[in-house]
Amino acid sequence: MRLHKDFRIIVFVLAMLIALIAIHPGYNSDEGFTSHLQYGLDLDGGTSLILHLDGVIASIDADPVQIIENEFSDVFGDVEIVDHSDTEITFRTAEPHSADAISAVGYGNGRIRGNDVALAINKQYVIRTYISKQLTCEVIYLGGDTYEIRSKVTDSELSDLLAGVGGSIKKDMQGKPEFKEEVTKETQEMTKKVLNEKLNIWGLKEIPITPVGSNVLMVDLAGIDLSTARDIVTTPGKFEIRVQTTNNTSEHVLWGDRITAVDVPNMKEGSWGVGFTLNDKGAREFGVAAVKYGAADDPDAHELIMLLDDNEVYSAPLNPRLASDLNGLYDLYGVDGDWPSRGLVANTGSGDEGEAEARQLHVHLSAGALPVQVTVVSSDQVPASLGTLFKEQALIAGLFALLTVALVIFLRYRQKNILIPMIATSVSEVFMILGFATLIGWQLNLPAIAGIIAVIGTGIDHLVIITDEVLYEGKIPSLKVYLSRISKAFAIIFAAAATTIIAMSPLLWMGFGALKGFAITTIVGVLIGVLIARPAYGRVIRDMLE
Amino acid sequence: MKQITHSRPGKGEAPMPKALTNLISRFDSYIRTHKPVQLTIPPLIVLVIALIVLGGMYATTGSPVRLGFEFEGGTIITLDTKDSQDLLQQKFADYPVIYVRDSGSRKSIKFGPMSEDKQNSLTELVNTDYEYAAPEIKQAGALYGASLQTQALRALVISFCLMAVVVFLIFRTLVPSVAVVLSAFSDIAIAAAFIAVTGIELSLGTVAALLMLIGYSVDSDILLTTRLLKRRGNLDDKVTNAMTTGLTMTCTTLAAIIVMYIVATYSYLIIPTLPQISIISDISIVLIFGLFADLMNTWMLNTGILKWHLQRPRRRRA
Repeated sequence: MRLHKDFRIIVFVLAMLIALIAIHPGYNSDEGFTSHLQYGLDLDGGTSLILHLDGVIASIDADPVQIIENEFSDVFGDVEIVDHSDTEITFRTAEPHSADAISAVGYGNGRIRGNDVALAINKQYVIRTYISKQLTCEVIYLGGDTYEIRSKVTDSELSDLLAGVGGSIKKDMQGKPEFKEEVTKETQEMTKKVLNEKLNIWGLKEIPITPVGSNVLMVDLAGIDLSTARDIVTTPGKFEIRVQTTNNTSEHVLWGDRITAVDVPNMKEGSWGVGFTLNDKGAREFGVAAVKYGAADDPDAHELIMLLDDNEVYSAPLNPRLASDLNGLYDLYGVDGDWPSRGLVANTGSGDEGEAEARQLHVHLSAGALPVQVTVVSSDQVPASLGTLFKEQALIAGLFALLTVALVIFLRYRQKNILIPMIATSVSEVFMILGFATLIGWQLNLPAIAGIIAVIGTGIDHLVIITDEVLYEGKIPSLKVYLSRISKAFAIIFAAAATTIIAMSPLLWMGFGALKGFAITTIVGVLIGVLIARPAYGRVIRDMLE
Repeated sequence: MKQITHSRPGKGEAPMPKALTNLISRFDSYIRTHKPVQLTIPPLIVLVIALIVLGGMYATTGSPVRLGFEFEGGTIITLDTKDSQDLLQQKFADYPVIYVRDSGSRKSIKFGPMSEDKQNSLTELVNTDYEYAAPEIKQAGALYGASLQTQALRALVISFCLMAVVVFLIFRTLVPSVAVVLSAFSDIAIAAAFIAVTGIELSLGTVAALLMLIGYSVDSDILLTTRLLKRRGNLDDKVTNAMTTGLTMTCTTLAAIIVMYIVATYSYLIIPTLPQISIISDISIVLIFGLFADLMNTWMLNTGILKWHLQRPRRRRA
């Protein structure tokens, strides 16, 4: 069969063309050589962070009656449980308390008859509320006895907490506690979204955030140093609005999750401000708290405070008109009514200072509500200038490795008819790997380059196997013998390739994905090699030897 | 001593370079003049020594190899600065400095684990005072180092077991498969022992290299086994032929990786501005150790076992 009609050659040429189009090499006088290759941060400069989402998924059992008894005793002194069923608990306090005081404990409104309070309960709700209050974090009920606790809590801490209310972490069949340091896919996805939003606000477009496993996010921030990166990513925490009561004390008003939208900072009537929208629940909490703690009547004595991770980020009194509005709404809807959602503006003052503060507040407000707290597991800062040097040097290392290979191959075979196709095949494999990388849009980093060099190594090994098999006993074989030898060679090559791919696969997950680039390049490279490049070499080498 | 002949008449003839021919004929005559069992003894002794070294390290330090910062938690900063090591020691006296070293033309400072606040202030300090020095900062949390250790160990074990399964599936006979798996195991153990003895720290790069070694090591073993099991002819000749191919393979790879190691590690001696690329340097040094071990294990251990297997009178295949 003619060379140009051979199936293997056609596949090879097509693959090379696709790679060429994908890489799109070019040259212009301003930028020098250009291409569509994307480089990782260790070559282009920037910071990469690996973030751990602090959360726990655990199966929990606890006694709601004991929880209610403990919780109300903490507030009202000793309470006595009079009656309880699965849906209601009745307890008696030493003296009568108001409905507000009961609901303020956080377990819903009770029916009050004298000293007796009957609380409608739901076991999951009680457990969830209890853990949430004790650990000051969000707790999500996932069904069964399973809860997601969005906090960095250890199993012994949680066990201690539950032991106080007749509960424990459940054990699985093997007797191991059902306690995993992870978060749900939804939580991970949500955290990713919020982070993304936050990074966009900083003007960092197209930041790759890659989820790894169930509780890790990898974030690559091009052109940003580690200090800034950490600030941007880890600052968001728990956003809270509190209201000043008397002197230096304050009361909780609402959490950041009530904020549904945040506008870009803008200036109105000489003052910078950030608009934000509270959902209906948030509007109610805001209005009720303002009236209850006196902010609506005496704004200046009861400032509203915004906190991020318990640090004050903003504080201001209510505008008098807003204050009187809130009083009116309170009369209309009351404590339990359906307040309509509400837009508010936090003003930061005039001038550059006001603008700067508004921008910062904007970030805090928008992404303040990361669903979970994050810990920086590892971080890597490479300045752009160093990255350029790495790039140059990796290129030198690759070229020299290739030249050395060429030299050894020449010394072994002493024929340019073998040397040239072999080196060309090796180079084409690299080219196709790069093309593939560009096509699927992954970035070339140092581990990936090490992977490519590794592929050159196994590639040459395999080409030597093919060549020696074809040249077995030194004679150029007849077509029939040639075909059987080629298939023998490929049996060896496929076996070797399979073991390499299998051996590399654990790296896809290890190290929170830090070596994913290395693993993917090696695996893809070996596949491209055995499926595209080496068959073509096997075809060409026969013609070259004739 | 017997004469070795691999005449290659006709167009495909390739006169070997002297060095390679010498290497092959030395190995070849050694294999031909020794009994299969004798062949396996030196590599097994080396394997046992390697295991003793690793075991000894484990007993004294709690880990078979020295752990790098990624596995223990800590910070590594490299700076392109003319400041002396002493000056840098002083400058960072508030932080848990483990060492200050020259790393090519740059200075490398390693810190132990520290609190997040401390880490932040260190980062701040470096990025302001040494902004000119193109600071490279790598940090890893202590808590996660522990998790990384289990992950790395698990990756090695899983990878090795999967490889063993694939090898068994390929050959479907016990002795040859065991021989391949054993020599791959020995390659890794010897490479790891070298890491331990030379004091190289275990990094993500060295773990990757150990995994890659599994792939490389199996290449020449599969070649050898296939050639010996599936070809007709004189056993010693088949070994010689396999060796010609196998040694070429390992030598090209070895040559390429040695060059890569030299470029990644010592380029600064020629062009002072070039930095060291630690991940490529780490990967290549481990592969160099491993490939040398592989030469011995493939052509002595594996060959010895295979020859013994094929020469056993009762199990002769039809």
